[in-house]
Amino acid sequence: MIRGGQDVPTSPNLWRRFVGDNGLQKWVFYLPALFMLLFSIVPLALTVVWSVFERTTFWMEPGFTLFAYESFFTSARAENYLFSMIHSSWAVVISFIIGFPIAVFVRRRIPQVAQHRVILLFILPFMISELVRVFAMRPVLGRHGLINNLLIEIGIINEPISIILFSPIGVVIGDVMSFLPFMVFAGFLAMEAVQKYVFEVCDDLGARAVHTFRDVIIPLAAPGIFAGGVFIFVNSLGVGLVPTILGGPGAVNAGLIVNQAIVAVDFPLAMAISTIMIVTMVLLLYLGHRLFDLTKILEPIQ
Amino acid sequence: MLDEHGKAWSYRAKWAYLLFVVFVLLLPVFYIIYISFNEHGFGAAIYEFTVDWYRVVLGDRMLVASLEWTAYLAVGAVASAVPLGLLAAKFCKSSRNKVPFVTLMLMPLFVPADIMGSSLLVFFKNLNGFFEWLSDSLGVTWFYGWFELGFLTALIGQIVYTLPYAFIVILITMSRYRVQQTEAARSCGATAWQAFRDVEFPQIRAGVFSACAFVTILSFNEATRTALLKGGFDTFQNVLVSQMLNIGMSGESYAMAGIMSVIPMVVIGSILIITLIRSDRLERVARAKAAAVMSN
Repeated sequence: MIRGGQDVPTSPNLWRRFVGDNGLQKWVFYLPALFMLLFSIVPLALTVVWSVFERTTFWMEPGFTLFAYESFFTSARAENYLFSMIHSSWAVVISFIIGFPIAVFVRRRIPQVAQHRVILLFILPFMISELVRVFAMRPVLGRHGLINNLLIEIGIINEPISIILFSPIGVVIGDVMSFLPFMVFAGFLAMEAVQKYVFEVCDDLGARAVHTFRDVIIPLAAPGIFAGGVFIFVNSLGVGLVPTILGGPGAVNAGLIVNQAIVAVDFPLAMAISTIMIVTMVLLLYLGHRLFDLTKILEPIQ
Repeated sequence: MLDEHGKAWSYRAKWAYLLFVVFVLLLPVFYIIYISFNEHGFGAAIYEFTVDWYRVVLGDRMLVASLEWTAYLAVGAVASAVPLGLLAAKFCKSSRNKVPFVTLMLMPLFVPADIMGSSLLVFFKNLNGFFEWLSDSLGVTWFYGWFELGFLTALIGQIVYTLPYAFIVILITMSRYRVQQTEAARSCGATAWQAFRDVEFPQIRAGVFSACAFVTILSFNEATRTALLKGGFDTFQNVLVSQMLNIGMSGESYAMAGIMSVIPMVVIGSILIITLIRSDRLERVARAKAAAVMSN
């Protein structure tokens, strides 16, 4: 609007300023960070606070007590937690042995245009519900399941093997089947750090495949391998579904203990175990960062 | 040193190993789909093909209602997580120090479902108590019960879970986009929104649609967080877990698991086929253009 030869700000201008580059448009980009802070970081940080609250009949009240921690460390739960850490470590090692060579092969031998398509093959199992994938292990691993029937059919065994289901081995198999694709993805990303000419130099110098793998690939890809390993370790430790379905009676991990504490309406105990779990994860990531500089994984994004 | 023949065999053996691992990962899923079509269920000596178990599932009003809730949650998750992922990817691309922001966005990936779900459960119970107290103190009722366990809290749990994936998928697609194009559009007089809509979005559209598919599937598959945060309604996965643990595995359970497996396969398969057809078409167009230039 022009009044007396001068531009006078009108309501559309005000609106434009409000939604313009320095208005709403600028602040709207902070929304995801705000959302994550509010609904991810704050609840996880408060978990530490709630873990020292006092338990009431159905809830908890502000106070300071380490009773939940005492209850955890002086019961069989701590032992179970340690055992599930051992099972999770096995899951990481097996996933690495099976999955990482695939990542190396895809990066090294498959033409670049086709690499992502090959990796998509591993997205497919990951896209099927973990619940279904774990649940589907029962008819495969059971006494009358696919594996036992097949082994009896071809005459390798006479009696069904019962140790592969409703046992710690069943849990490790379930964890590997659930999280193996992550080792392939992490390994694939990690191999970004290993330039193609490195392989050519190794070949030219006559290095054997084992030496190239051990002395060149592993050190260069260590940040990605570690990140994938932590991911598998933490999820094996914290996803209660696997021991519930494949572990049989008495099989637990941290996630399942948390669930059991919630069912028993012992919220401070649930929060204490969650805190221990979060501290384990943060310590592992810190250790990995100190050893391998985990920010290197983000270099492709940078 | 391996000769050419040995190398070719080694290459084939590695491919065979890769495909074998994929096969093993998918085998249990295909096996339960196979069982779901057996009239006599798992472990029976005879196999008679039937779709009756699927009829039972789709004829069960409670299960259909749970499927509807699952669909509502998926729609809500896509409508929230994808725009947030897009904003996050744009913010990340324009920021100088990306590491803290990326760490914040990816943090939920490293927290197991049971731990995140229980933390959010206690958080929402406290938040709800606070809002109720605030509502009583101020005498204003419109925000009473906002964070009571129910659809909204389950949806927030799912957004926390799916947002990192949406963010990463869009960010990877966006990495190929050059910001100078937006700057050129802006200097030609386009507003930020017009520059995004007409210049940037067409180039990152594939990533945004992939993120939509990703989030839909992840939301459809999510069970643990939703079970803790859902309040009074049931999703398809929650009904399946409850059936498996309380009643045991029936033909109906296998059919439910079959439905849950086939839907993601169809979605991912369609995306793969569309992507392959599209890239093939683009390649043909590029080749035709190159041929025209060469002939001149």
